[in-house]
Amino acid sequence: MFGQLRMIFTLLMIAGIAGAGMYVVKLRADNVILKANQIQLEQSIKSQAKVLAQQKKDFEKIMEANKEMNELVNNLQEDMRQLDKRFTKKGRDIGKIAEKKPGLVEKIINNATERAKRCVEIASGAKLTEQEINATKKSEINTECPAIANPNYNAYAVED
Amino acid sequence: MRIILIILLAFILTSCTFGERKIKIFQVEEPRPELNLESPEPLTLDDLRWIIITSKNAEEVFARLEAQGFDPVLFGLTDKDYELIAKNFAQIRSYLKEQNAILEKYKEYYEPKDEEETKTE
Repeated sequence: MFGQLRMIFTLLMIAGIAGAGMYVVKLRADNVILKANQIQLEQSIKSQAKVLAQQKKDFEKIMEANKEMNELVNNLQEDMRQLDKRFTKKGRDIGKIAEKKPGLVEKIINNATERAKRCVEIASGAKLTEQEINATKKSEINTECPAIANPNYNAYAVED
Repeated sequence: MRIILIILLAFILTSCTFGERKIKIFQVEEPRPELNLESPEPLTLDDLRWIIITSKNAEEVFARLEAQGFDPVLFGLTDKDYELIAKNFAQIRSYLKEQNAILEKYKEYYEPKDEEETKTE
């Protein structure tokens, strides 16, 4: 009787130890999986952070490009308004002036055409000359398109 | 002898699968080649000359034209049409400038000059 109990007890002990051993093995396996998951998650967070940083940079670039384009469009529109103003300023009638002083008007419009021609060349990608870049006074600028021909002249800071 | 037979049998049964490695799949991002189309040469326009002709100076203008060797003929615009043509050209110029600026911005955005910056990003 006592011998049987001892056997059962021994078997239970062995089973307990084996179970504990298996449990430890399982825990170790789980631990390995969890570690791998942790690494994956960390990598994923890193790559997400990278993507977010890139998105932020791209967004800033887009905003900057839009701002610059808006400035350019506004300046070009102002060039157009100034041209319109030149023809109609103070009730000016270019036809009547030309009738009275054809020689003077001819000279004025030929000079303006020369400047306008240069504006088209610049708009098509021609490089600015030193003189155009350094122009800061009204007497030095290309009055047809200061927005694109004279980057250092604040064309529309003061309305005339 | 038995040992050798057992080892051989083991090799045959396992089909020499010892040391078989797992296939690793990895991705390498290959950047798109840059388009790099050359920009057209900037325009170099020829000079042109406007001549103002009125009812009073017409004879003088035609005489001057003939003296300069030109045919005594002029293609005319009224003062209003002259204003319109000036504004039309200004519009074309603005459009050209805007288009070029947009192209530049696209190029800067998609093909930044600073290669290091893109690599580190």
